[in-house]
Formats: sequence, structure tokens, C-alpha cells
Amino acid sequence: MGKERTDLLRGTLDLLILKALALEPLHGVGVSRRIAQITGGAFQVSFGSLFPSLHRMEEKGWLEAEWRASENNRRAKYYRLAPSGRAQLRAEERDWKQVVKIMTGAVGSA
Amino acid sequence: MPGRIGSFFRSLLRKGAVEQALDDELQSAVELLTQEKMKEGLSHPEARRQALIELGGVEQVKEEVRAIRPGMFLETFAQDLRYTFRELRKRPTFALTAILSLALGIAATSAVFSVVYAVLVDPFPYPGSDRIMELSMRDSAGKDRYAGLNGPQMQQLRQTKSIESIAGMDQWNLTTTDGDLPEDVRAGYLSPDDPNHWGTPALMGRWLIPSDAPYGKDPQPIVVIGYKFWQRYYFGDPGVVGRTLQLVHKPYQIVGVMPPRFKWGDTDIYLPLHVTADPSIYFGASIKLRPGVTVAQANADIQPYLEQFAKEAHAHYPEKFRSNLRSITELYAKPLGPTLYLLLGAVASLLLIGCANVSILLLARSAERQQEFAVRSAVGAERLRIVRQLLTESLTIAFAGTILGVLLAWRSLALIIAWLPENSFPSESVIKMNWPVLLFSVGLAFATAVLFGLSPAIQLSRPDIARLMQGSGRRVMGSANTKRTHKAMVAAQVALTLLLLSAASAAGKGFLRLVKADLGYDPHATMSVPIPIHENTYGTWKGRSEYFEQIRAAIASMPEVIDAGISTNATPPENGWDTRFELFGSASGQQPEARVNFISPEYLTVLHIPLAQGRLFDHTETMRGAPLALINQTMARQYWPNGNAIGQQVKIAVLKDEPPYSPAASGSDGWLQIVGVVSDVRDDGLRNPIKPAIYVPYTIKMRMFTQILVRTRVPPLSILRDIRARLVRLDREQQVMQVRDLEAWITGLQEYSQQRFIATLFGVFSVLALVLAAVGLYSVVSYGVATRTNEFGIRMALGANSSDVFRMALTSTAVNVGAGLVAGIILSIVFDKLSTRWVMESSRNPLILAGVTLILIAAAALACFLPARRAVRVDPMVALRHE
Repeated sequence: MGKERTDLLRGTLDLLILKALALEPLHGVGVSRRIAQITGGAFQVSFGSLFPSLHRMEEKGWLEAEWRASENNRRAKYYRLAPSGRAQLRAEERDWKQVVKIMTGAVGSA
Repeated sequence: MPGRIGSFFRSLLRKGAVEQALDDELQSAVELLTQEKMKEGLSHPEARRQALIELGGVEQVKEEVRAIRPGMFLETFAQDLRYTFRELRKRPTFALTAILSLALGIAATSAVFSVVYAVLVDPFPYPGSDRIMELSMRDSAGKDRYAGLNGPQMQQLRQTKSIESIAGMDQWNLTTTDGDLPEDVRAGYLSPDDPNHWGTPALMGRWLIPSDAPYGKDPQPIVVIGYKFWQRYYFGDPGVVGRTLQLVHKPYQIVGVMPPRFKWGDTDIYLPLHVTADPSIYFGASIKLRPGVTVAQANADIQPYLEQFAKEAHAHYPEKFRSNLRSITELYAKPLGPTLYLLLGAVASLLLIGCANVSILLLARSAERQQEFAVRSAVGAERLRIVRQLLTESLTIAFAGTILGVLLAWRSLALIIAWLPENSFPSESVIKMNWPVLLFSVGLAFATAVLFGLSPAIQLSRPDIARLMQGSGRRVMGSANTKRTHKAMVAAQVALTLLLLSAASAAGKGFLRLVKADLGYDPHATMSVPIPIHENTYGTWKGRSEYFEQIRAAIASMPEVIDAGISTNATPPENGWDTRFELFGSASGQQPEARVNFISPEYLTVLHIPLAQGRLFDHTETMRGAPLALINQTMARQYWPNGNAIGQQVKIAVLKDEPPYSPAASGSDGWLQIVGVVSDVRDDGLRNPIKPAIYVPYTIKMRMFTQILVRTRVPPLSILRDIRARLVRLDREQQVMQVRDLEAWITGLQEYSQQRFIATLFGVFSVLALVLAAVGLYSVVSYGVATRTNEFGIRMALGANSSDVFRMALTSTAVNVGAGLVAGIILSIVFDKLSTRWVMESSRNPLILAGVTLILIAAAALACFLPARRAVRVDPMVALRHE
């Protein structure tokens, strides 16, 4: 895990979190593990950035939270995409694809 | 964004719940991670440790989450505040000293500046009051002579282009004749030609208008009453306009009531002035310049007119003179100026000392707390957070100091007003709390607290954590910077305190001199009863001299009265009128000046003034207006050093007959024979040398006024009502003006009350300064000892004895105090010129300087000795184990 890559990731953390929660509600640790999984272990998000982001997105109303039993029967706070979060996910995905297309074209042409 | 605002309040109101939830969430995350690790085969403790490492510290994550929350600021603020209160409670002395230091400075500065503002910046309620002038003529000797104007002269001067308006003025003591006892009423007669002269509308009804007294015609019987008279005589009756006020049996219709601040001439009521074309009747004149005209321009405009007037009526004018206009502000408000500025300087020093104290305390304390901050930053406190914490503490102190300061300012302002010398400032000025300056001193207090609360905080909040954590706080030396600041502050405090102390003792010494002044007469159990008479009464010489004698005899015959004498103008200690006289046999044209007093022979016995030589004039001589005179010893020494004054003759030209206002005995302006020399009495105040004095029988020339000097067996003022009743039996319109006993004549002297005022305030301020400076020193030495406990322990373990340690604890401070003392002495000498002018006593006096230096050294020694003793008591073993 190079440091630069995590820095790069910071701007796209919101997108990754939204993507991770698109399938099913997860608690904080679950979100971290899911991101590691969907990026093939390339990105590991520090909890110091993850939790503030979760709380911020909750404040914005993109996420909804509820307390329920976890896989090993402990109480945990689960985050789920709210409708506005789903809309946000679609918007960010579209933006991201745009950036990738432009960047790929730019980098490939050189 | 209602949702966001909602969550803001949610997070504020349910702060506890939100915190709890965050705590739960992170705890559960730790457990989840721990279980993950345990599945990988780690033991529980090890798994938990790894989990915490991966999470990156529960507290740090919490801080990060809190940082993105709305309402976060207030939340941490409340937290900081709670912490602050806990801290301050833990160290109450620190908190109290800092708060008191600020409060005293704020209170003193705002109270004194409020007085300065009311008296010097905004003394009069009249719009354009800086353009309202009094006219005098300055003669070649630099003396000012008041220039009255007659009717035609006023008309002429009004044509001058620099003059906007002229108001003629006169004053009489009238009496009410619609009550049971006649009451004295001070009446101001004003020419109403230009009602805008004062620019103040009436509170009720109207002010005087030109048709009240058309030029050359008899004025209308109307009166405008002042606010105080309205309150006193009519108890503030709102229906008073339109009613009739009877003055000396003549009815006047009340047409208006003036607002409280309108007190022109300090009179009770205002009547239209009867200005006639008669050139022999002179009035006082108030001149208002046009806007934009300078005083020099106006003087130049008026000068030719005055020279013309001087040609027409030679006797009224000096030989050579310059027109000298002075604004009422300059005349009535400025005299108190130097005193007030001096005080302002004193309280500003006090404010500075207070602020220096707070900064010393804050610096010392943050140094003490270095370790605490190191620990806090190690467990995850951000630098900004620590700064904010320190700021909260400083601001809390500043805030508490401000509240206390404002309360104190209010109290002390009331005290200062009560103490202000009477008649030393215009009665129109209203002294109230001055908000701008209150805000200024509060601002200064806050700035000090923030500046000195933060400057160490910024360097402190990123200390070398590892080093500090390992070491004990006591081993931490204060930074070189902090120490330098301390040194400068201590020296500055000591210097300012010394300056204040020496000014205070100079002022105190000056006041003592006044108290101990040898009066030459006995002021105890004696009062002066001033009695005015009315226009068109007792117009002949015989009628008036007999009436005055009847009054004197009526009072003297009362059982409570020991004796009573007449003293037209001779109530000491500032008595007699400066008058030119001529010595028989000296070159004509030589006209020296002496104070002429009009008395009856009982005057000298009432005051216990002994006769030094010759004899007094007796009762029959007095009643026939015999051309005799007594002189005081000063005069006898000055003109007849060989002791041959008796039998000599003097002539006083102004004693000529001027009926009906001032009838004189025949031959009054001829040669008067000196029959006796009386011993010296203070006649020019308590401070100035005694002036040559001439005493003549009061019957030589009388005014519309007399005074009876009464010595009593009982407290003098207690028989006042009886006296008034007796006078009414002689003349049913006879009133009495305000009566004071002779002690009040002394304490009422401006030089006396002003000196007492300065001495008291300076005394109070310098004691406060001394206390504050001592506290400052105490904290500096305490801080020094606290930071060096360890070092002292080692030194003692190595064989240093307690006196060595004691010396070490004191040396650096002693140097600073010494520097401060030297600076203070130099300051005192530099300010000596100011202090001799304003405090009337030299502060360069070596005795004073030595005295206050000793006081300061004693206070400093005490302040340093107490904490230094702590250094000596250090047990080497305890100090070393501190590691």
C-alpha cells in the first residue's frame, strides 16, 4: 500500500463508500472490508478517514443508519443507502466514467 | 437547509446521546476487529492490541468525527469552558488575582475618563458652546479686566461681522412673597433679543423672546423658571405654565420651564433684561461668534470698538488694553483639566500595571502547564484544540474581570462625583458612564488576555512531546523568551508604581500643608450669613447703614449667639476686594493695590483677631462713617517698616458715593486715617502669601448686600431658622442666602478641595498599584522557584546551604526590581515639572523619593520572600525523586 495511492483514493472515497453500500447495509468495519474486496485489496481505507466520511454522508442524508445485531450477534451501527444516496452514486459514477474516458484518451494519445 | 439546522440542534441538545452513539459505534468496531484477529489465531489481548492499532486510536477517530459535525464548535466550547472552570477552581488565587488586576484597571480608567469627558469634552448643553465667549480686556500688566457693556455699546457691537449674537446679563437676589417665609431666589436677567444665543428649547412652555423686552421699553412681567426651581418650589407640577409667581410683591406670569441641564449663570429663574439707552448702566455680556470665525479675528474686529468706548468713558477702561475673548469652555471647564489629565495618567498606569500582572500570571502558568499540554497532545489533542483551550481560559478571566470592572467603575464613578470639588466644573456638565472608554478598557483587557494567553500557547502546543513526557514538569525551564518578558514586565511595574507613589506622597504632603496652614483667625463655631437687599429699598446712606446695624443687633441679641459682626466682603480665608489706593505724601500716580475689607468693629472680636498696635474704630465712629482705617501687619511692614503706620493716611478713589445702589459716607473717597494695625490673617487662600489688607468701617460704602459673621454657643447652622424669623420681623421681605460655617468656607476653597481630591485619589491609586505590583512580583518569584525546585534540590544535596539557595531564588528578580526602581526615580524626576504645577508640591523632594523607594523595596521584599522561602524548604530527597 503506497502512501500516494491512498492519497489518490481520498477524493474518490465517497464514491467507493456509496458503491460498497449499494449491494447491502454494512457496518463501518464491513465497509472497509468491502472496499478492500471490490478493489482487489488495492485500497485499504484508514478508519480515521472512513468514520468521518460515513458521518458526513449521514448528515447529508445520503446514508441512513440503524443499530442491529451483527454477524456474530453484537450490536453494530449499519449504514444503508438512502434514495438521495442512490442518486448521488449514479451521479458520481457518471462523473467518474467521464473522467476516466477523458484521462484515458489523454494518456493514450501521448 | 432545515435538516442540517435540525441536526445542529440535535447534536447540541442531545450531545450526550450523540457522543454515546459514537462511542458505541467505535467500541463495536474494536470488538469486530478483535474477533477477526482472534479468528486468525491471535490471543485475545494481542488481537485487541492489533485491532486498536488498525483503528488508529479510538480518541483520535472520535476527534476526527467530531470535527465534521455541525455544532461542533459550541460543543467543544462548552467542553473547554467546563475544563476552564475546573482549572480556575483548582487555582483560585491565580484566577482571583488576574480577575482583580483587570477589574481595577478597567474600573479606574473608565470612571476617571468619564469625568474628563463630561467636564472637558462635553461640559455645556448649549449648541455651539465653544463659540459663546466672555469679553475681557487684558491690560499691559497681563491682568484681565472684565468688560461690561451698556445698551448703546451692545447695539453697536452687534453690527460686527464676526458676532452672531450678544446677550446682556444681570443678576439679582429676589425673594418670593407668596410663601410663609420669604425665600431667596437667584434671578438671572437676560436680554431676549436673540433667543438662539443658547439654542436650547424650553422643556415646557417657551423661552424668552424679543417681544418680552423691546429695546428701551419696560419688560413684560413674565418669568421662565429653571428645572431645579420648578422641582423645589412647585414640586415638578406639570400645570405650572400660566400660573403666577409673586416676587417681592410683584406678580410674574410663568411662561416656561427649562430642561434640567440648562443652568445658565446658575440662577433659579430667568427674567427679560431691561436694556436702556442710558450709557451709565453696564451689563454683563455674553458674545456668541459666528461659526468659522476664529477668536483672533473676533478680537481684531472688536478692538476698535472698545478703543472707541474707552474714549467715551475713560474711567471704566485701563490705560492700554487688548480685547480678550475667552470661551466659556476655556473659562469654566478648563481649570480642572490638568488635575483630570494627571489622574487619567495615574489610572492609565494602573491599567497597564494590571495588564502586566495578568500577562505575568498567564505566562507563568502556561509554563507550569507545559507537561499537561504535552500529555494532552500525545493522547490526540490537535494543536488548534490546545490553543482554543488556552484561549477559552484567557477569555474567561478577561470576561470575569470585565464584569467586575464595570460594576466597580459604576461604584467608583459615584464616589468620584461625590468627591469632586464643588464649583470646580460647570454645573451644566452631566457626569455619567462613558461607554466608548469603558469599551476601550475592556478591549485592552481582552487583548492582553488573548495576547499573553496565546503567545506561549502557540510555542507550547507543539512541544517536543517525547522529551516532555519523559521528564517531570519541574525540570522544564521556562523558555528564555518568557523570562525576558517577565523581566521587562517586573521592571515596568516597579517603575510605574514608584512614579505613582511619589506623585501620591507629593500630593498628600501638599494637602497636609493646607490642613496645617496657620489661619490667623478662629473658624470654629462661626458662620457667615449673607443677606441681599432689594432694588428700590434702603437707598439712602443713613437708611441702609441703620438697617444693616439693626440686622446685626437682632442676631447678636439671640441667647445662642456670643457675638455678631458685619463683614460685607470679609469672610476669610479669601477676603477683601483688590483695590488701588494712594499713600499720603507719596508721588502722585503711584497706585499700589491692597485688599479692602468693609467691617464693623465686632468683626475682629468674633474672629479672635488680635490688635497688634494702635486701636480699633468704635461703634459710634462706625455709625457715622468716620474716615478711619485699620491695616494688617503685612501692609504695615511693607509700607512703614519702622513701625510708624499709625496716624498715616490712605486714599481709596473708588469709594465714591454712587446712590441708590452704593451709597457712601461723606468724605469716603478722601483721606482715611490709619488708627490701628491688626495681626495677619489668611486673606488670599491657604497657599498664597498674605496680601496687604485695609479694613474700613462698613458704612464707608455699602452695596445691595451684607454679611453677618456670627459666633455661637451651639452648632451655628442650628439657629438658622430663628435668624430668618427675626429678620422677617425687621422687614417682611428679607431673605437669607445660602449659609455656610467658616470651616465650610475653608473646605469649599477650590485649592483645598482640589488638593484633597488629588491626594485622596492618588493615594488610593498608588496603594492599588503597589498591591498589584507586589502580586506580580510574587508570581514571578513563585514561578522561578517552581521551575527550579529540582535544581535547588540537587544543589542542596551537593552541599549548598539554605542562604545560598535563598540568594539564588532572589538574585535575578532583585536585579529587575532594582532596574525598575532606578527607572521609576528617573521618571519621577522627569515628571517633576508636571507635578509641581498640578500637585503643587515637588516630587523631586529627596525625602519623598527615599520614602517611597523604601516602601516599594519593603513590599517587593515581602512579595519575593514568601515564595523564596519555599525554595529553601525544598527537601533534597523529595526534589530529586521528582524525576
